Amino acid sequence: MSGDKNLSRKSSAQNFKEKVVKYYEAIFQDKDPSNGNGNFWSEFFLLRANIEALQTQFTTISSHDVQSIKPNINEFFVRCVSCLSEPQSMRTVNAIQTLCGLVKGAFAQSKGSYGFDVIDLLIGFDQAESVMQKLIDCLQKILSSRESAVSLKNICLRFLLTIVTLTDNVSQNTLLEYLMINSIFDALLLILSSSTLRCNHGNDSVLLLILLVQYRKYDSTNPYIVNLSILDNDIALNGLSQIIALSLLGYNRQYREKLTQQKSTGLMSSFTSMVGSMFGSDETSKVKFKPDIPLLLALYECVHLNRNFVLALTTSHAGGNFGSTHSLTSDPADDLPPAIPRASEVPLSQTGELDQPTNLLATFIEYTSIITHDVRDDANFNVSKLCFIILNCVSEDHYANSLMHDPNINFRIPIHRVPMRHRKLSMEASPPSGPLACAVLELQVEFLISHMMKQMPAELYTLSLSAIHRLLVYQKKNRVRLSYPWKSLWAALTNLVKYILSNEAALIKVCNIFVMAQQVVNIFNMFITYGDTFLSTPGSYDDLYYDLIRRHVVYDNLYALALRYANNDEYKDHSTRLVHSLSNIRSVINHFCPKVDSWAKVNHLSSLTEEQVLEVVKTNYETLTLKLHETLDQFERYSEKPKESSFFMHMVRSLVLEVREKAVITKLEQTSLLKEFTTVPTET
Amino acid sequence: MDMPLPRVHMVRKKTTTENSHLLLSGADSIELNQNSSDPSMTSFVEGAERSKSSSHSLKEGLEDSGECNRLQCISSTPIDSSQRQNVSNAKEGSVKQDKFRKDLSLPFAVSSQRTRHDSSHIPKSKQSWLLRLFESKLFNMSLAITYLFNSKEQGVQIYIGNRMFTFQDDDVDAYLPQLLNMYVQMRDVAEAIHAYIVQRCRKSVEFAIKTTWLLDAYTVYQTQTGSKCGQGVKLRNAIINDGLVPRTNNKSMLGHLALSFNNSGSHHLQSHSDLSPRVNKTFVKSHSRSRSDATGMMNFTLTPSPTDPILISAAMSSNAAGYLSMGNNAAGDLMSGKAFDNGCICQQASYSDMLDSILRGSACKCCAPQLQPEMEFVTALMNIGQRLGALETKEQRTRHLIAELGMLNLNLPARVWLPVNRSTHMVVRIPATSAVVLNSKEKCPYLIYVEVLETDEDILAAPLPPRIPESQLRLSHSDEDFCPSPTIYDEPSLKPFSQPMAAVSSDMLDDQDCWSQEDDDIITFAMKSRASDTLSQYSYESSHSADSKDVYVTASDIKRRLTESLQRPGGRKNFKRDPDDPSATAMKEPWHQKVHRLREASPYGHLANWRLLAAIVKCGDDLRQELLVHQVLLQLQQIWKEERVPLWLRPYTITVISADSGMIEPVLNAVSLHQIKKQSETSLLQYFIQEHGPITSEEFLTAQRNFVQSCAGYSILCYLMQVKDRHNGNILLTADGHIIHIDYGFILSISPGKNLGFEISAFKLTHEFVEVMGGIGSDMYKYYKILILQGLITARKHMDRIIPMVEIMQAGSDLPCFGRGVSTIRAMKDRFHLNLTEEQLQELVDNMVESSLNSLTTKLYDGFQYFTNGIL
Repeated sequence: MSGDKNLSRKSSAQNFKEKVVKYYEAIFQDKDPSNGNGNFWSEFFLLRANIEALQTQFTTISSHDVQSIKPNINEFFVRCVSCLSEPQSMRTVNAIQTLCGLVKGAFAQSKGSYGFDVIDLLIGFDQAESVMQKLIDCLQKILSSRESAVSLKNICLRFLLTIVTLTDNVSQNTLLEYLMINSIFDALLLILSSSTLRCNHGNDSVLLLILLVQYRKYDSTNPYIVNLSILDNDIALNGLSQIIALSLLGYNRQYREKLTQQKSTGLMSSFTSMVGSMFGSDETSKVKFKPDIPLLLALYECVHLNRNFVLALTTSHAGGNFGSTHSLTSDPADDLPPAIPRASEVPLSQTGELDQPTNLLATFIEYTSIITHDVRDDANFNVSKLCFIILNCVSEDHYANSLMHDPNINFRIPIHRVPMRHRKLSMEASPPSGPLACAVLELQVEFLISHMMKQMPAELYTLSLSAIHRLLVYQKKNRVRLSYPWKSLWAALTNLVKYILSNEAALIKVCNIFVMAQQVVNIFNMFITYGDTFLSTPGSYDDLYYDLIRRHVVYDNLYALALRYANNDEYKDHSTRLVHSLSNIRSVINHFCPKVDSWAKVNHLSSLTEEQVLEVVKTNYETLTLKLHETLDQFERYSEKPKESSFFMHMVRSLVLEVREKAVITKLEQTSLLKEFTTVPTET
Repeated sequence: MDMPLPRVHMVRKKTTTENSHLLLSGADSIELNQNSSDPSMTSFVEGAERSKSSSHSLKEGLEDSGECNRLQCISSTPIDSSQRQNVSNAKEGSVKQDKFRKDLSLPFAVSSQRTRHDSSHIPKSKQSWLLRLFESKLFNMSLAITYLFNSKEQGVQIYIGNRMFTFQDDDVDAYLPQLLNMYVQMRDVAEAIHAYIVQRCRKSVEFAIKTTWLLDAYTVYQTQTGSKCGQGVKLRNAIINDGLVPRTNNKSMLGHLALSFNNSGSHHLQSHSDLSPRVNKTFVKSHSRSRSDATGMMNFTLTPSPTDPILISAAMSSNAAGYLSMGNNAAGDLMSGKAFDNGCICQQASYSDMLDSILRGSACKCCAPQLQPEMEFVTALMNIGQRLGALETKEQRTRHLIAELGMLNLNLPARVWLPVNRSTHMVVRIPATSAVVLNSKEKCPYLIYVEVLETDEDILAAPLPPRIPESQLRLSHSDEDFCPSPTIYDEPSLKPFSQPMAAVSSDMLDDQDCWSQEDDDIITFAMKSRASDTLSQYSYESSHSADSKDVYVTASDIKRRLTESLQRPGGRKNFKRDPDDPSATAMKEPWHQKVHRLREASPYGHLANWRLLAAIVKCGDDLRQELLVHQVLLQLQQIWKEERVPLWLRPYTITVISADSGMIEPVLNAVSLHQIKKQSETSLLQYFIQEHGPITSEEFLTAQRNFVQSCAGYSILCYLMQVKDRHNGNILLTADGHIIHIDYGFILSISPGKNLGFEISAFKLTHEFVEVMGGIGSDMYKYYKILILQGLITARKHMDRIIPMVEIMQAGSDLPCFGRGVSTIRAMKDRFHLNLTEEQLQELVDNMVESSLNSLTTKLYDGFQYFTNGIL
């Protein structure tokens, strides 16, 4: 039956068939393609590989034939591998591509078989280990060799990316087990450490590394995780951070460009867009772009796994340093784009855009401020969540905190604001210069006030609040007095509570509003009882009281809300806890409000100015007693498992799909590759 | 007794009256010697003795005892050539060495005979007067350079060149700029001191590098004008090409070197061309070029394979390309992490064992380019300065600087040192965020703090400390980090402790009661995995809070604590942070505080030999004038110390790297008057009171005395050297009240504003200064004038130690301060007022102080600086 099928195909496409396809067919029909020709295989790899044709061959296999053609395919695979160990030439390229086709075809053919059968079909169980070891050795050699051409390395990385993305779930890809046994980490490290290699292959290497890290992350010893977490080579870590920073920087720049384009369209359009926005669609003025999941995931894994990465995170990169001081890189040959571009679509490194020295964290903060503009979109929501998780990780780390609060490390980080109905969007010419922690706080405050919408991204709010909390805990512990306008934070927090109160009915269905309110109250408690350890002026402590007194109604209502739910079974615990922690705010309000009122009465004033209230506050501290909540400076340390593991599974899955799509070699590229290999002979 | 004086005069061809002081002191020494009855006999005996001793030290110095021949020649005992030959043949050494010796000594022998012949009308004994001066104890480097410069007698020059071997290295180094300028400008002197310089280069890398830089700086005029490629350039290239750097006393190496010296000796230094086909700047380029060519093969094949050492020594003697292929190709590439690594493999155990069996000695034997690391280090610093200059605002510059230094840091520790200090340390880290950009409009000088480890050994031989990752710090500093250190990460579960943590603390945010119970568990848990001392703080804190369930505080306590803690860092206030003047804050912080702070923050801080150094990197500025003034300052300081005049000066080290770059040792604990005025917004006197206490307090009086003594010292310097551009940005005030003048860009015949004569007063003395002294007529004011008078008198007495230094630097110089040529020196001599009596001098001082104080131009200039540069 299968023979019939093949026959019909043959007859229809007889005239157009390439020679190589004929050989493929022979292999898949259990024939000996070499036909007694001793040089067959060396000649075979001179033929240009036809990946698609090879893949379709697998669809022709029926389950009956599998056993009979298995030896043939195994032989074919081994031939490909042994071709790699020969001196590099066009044959190497073809062999890698053939391998790509083989692996892809085989996996496509056996859906959901977890790869065991596939390995048997491709290589054969008995020799799989040795063949794969040889294959990986060869690939590693090509990657780390100085002589191999840029395109060859690219194609190598693509092949590896193909292998890694064979299954939707990385952990189910049995083929990766061989990459675990024979780690290619060193080769990747080499690429990250060298400035020239990084330029050409950095993104793909990072991608590959991150995907490899995902393999059975939670339940086995993954050498990539181990190696990445103990990596302390500053050069490599810096390389890693540069690759990520460069990509994020590209997005930031893109956003800024679009923004200035919109701005320059003139008064009229801004008026119309304002009118337009009045009717609810402010989409027009938002700048959208595709989020950069791969490198953000890489950033996450680095921050999460590697303690040494923090330094690289905050090491500034100056424009000139992306290359080297000497003109080692300015070889004219290097300027030509390689025939096989990288799989990941990331703006090429242009030193021009890096005139301003920046560091990864600063870039990342700006990026986050952009990506969180629109969280209604699912993809954007996920990326925002990822960003916030990274920020949480960073603000948990003592060393990162010490760098973020270092008064000597100042940056001007633009926090991009969403245009909203009630406020004009004014892009400051130059954002204020300050320690990184200020920018993080500003980012969070901006997020808090700009996302109070019907489908409230409660998860993000929780993450945002905990990031703020972590920073405060650090400041409290180390008595760091950051000069930050805390008033904006207090206002944002109070507004959040107010929003929760007024949308109680809707919100209680989507999230636990008590936990969120509790977070807010805890932050206030930090200020009230530990303000002496981290506020930068005595006046700001007075301001805190002023703010609480001014908005006391909000907290009265919150208290009432918590009491109301005290008997609700579902929220009993949470609401009583909230009541408990509100005690300080309530005592402040109950202590000062009557005093302010009576002062007004005595002075016959209907409303008091800020100075007058502050005066009352200052004179009445003595009699106010506050409760010290001991656990205010404790927080649950972030751990990926079990809370976020499904989220990351999901992210990785979408990453795999994305990479799989891109990691193919098109005909066009093949042609240019051929050209490159004929014109630029590799010196072997 | 006066007899020797005229005779010495007669020997010297060019004798001028200004040298009379010098000659006087020379004569003094001879007088001492003349206590015995027969002058000529004594001189002979003593001379012979001395030559013995000097030849002894020469033996050590040169590894070559042939030198004593020459000395014997000089001691006026004619030795015929055959005798000399015998002596030298008796010594061991290669034939080439002999030839070298012969060649070097021959011209002298000839010339000394010729001298005797030429000056035949002078009695034979008279020749020995000069000799006796040279051999007396009083003959020092100051005299040596004077005679080197003034004497046209080749014999005398060569004698001094040889005699220099007997001086202390430090003494000679003090006059290195003069020596090298003569080397560059005067071919005969070059010949005389060539051997000495080569010898020193071979002994110390530091000297070699310093010499290279100075030669670079003093030959720039020659190369610019395209005049003949002089001996200076040749010497420089020879040093750079590694021909003259310290080597092991390997025979073949010595032979190789001797050959090149030999050639240079006989053919007037022309032989280096084969070592250095390219000249000066172009050389640097092609150097790195060839390095990058070698990259392909080197980077991955440099795994220490047991190449046989014979091959190495072959490469050693063959050519420069040999070094390159052995060397680290990444040198200079800051992103490589090995930018300052010359690829020396001697420290690798397997190698050194093997090499030791063949070659003896402690120095580097693998012929890695020895100067390269330091050169690359300094180049990297200079490159940063250059890039900073292109930026506009101080803030941008600061950020850039931090970024660039961060990158530089990746390549440390390395066997490099900070050139403003002696090379007895290794740079391990540059705390990037402490570096500041200094106030300057066009150029961009910056101040770096450098962490170093002190070593006793030669730093090229000392073992390189391992790089400690910055993040190691947290292990000792973090008090909240429960995760095990990354090194124990091998377990299958990556965060073995995070899971129990999470379980325990799952709802700790919400429930205080539950937390307080589990608290102890966590602590004991953490105790197991971590050092106890870091944890003690935590356990103390948390157990304290856990014990008492309900703690209450009053709001007033919190407010009070806040207010108090904000006021506490009172007393001496630190300056506020100002983004436009970042250096003010950095300079104001007391040095010991800074050291403490940085030591805490450094991963190397725990090492016993950790030190903090600082340097100002100047790029685009010519520091040669600064160097000259620095030398004058040192002389004045020395003179006043000898004469016990309590004048205070603070010479700060200058390292000239090229004609337009260099490094300066920053003055610690000092801020400029401009910064003080800007930050404190009061008068100088008020600032003194604020810093030191009321006028009658002990501390204030000490500070005031310091102020007066330093003021007087610098007034004299400013007058003698005609230091101009004295705005308040160029005058520093130290924490103990001394003032220090910096920036000697305008001295002698050049002043700002195209020599329009803005500042015509003798020195800068404002009413504010006098106010600090206690006002006109006060005791301290009078003391100030007395000090100036005493200082001037003593300086005049020892004028011969100062003038020649300046005069030599004037030779062939393109420095703007010598713009008026020889008359510059004459004018300077006039300022010593040799013709005035002490009374007249006192009158002069009174007049100068008076007119300076009332000078309109000082005020005008300050006003001008305020309007143009905003300097208060």
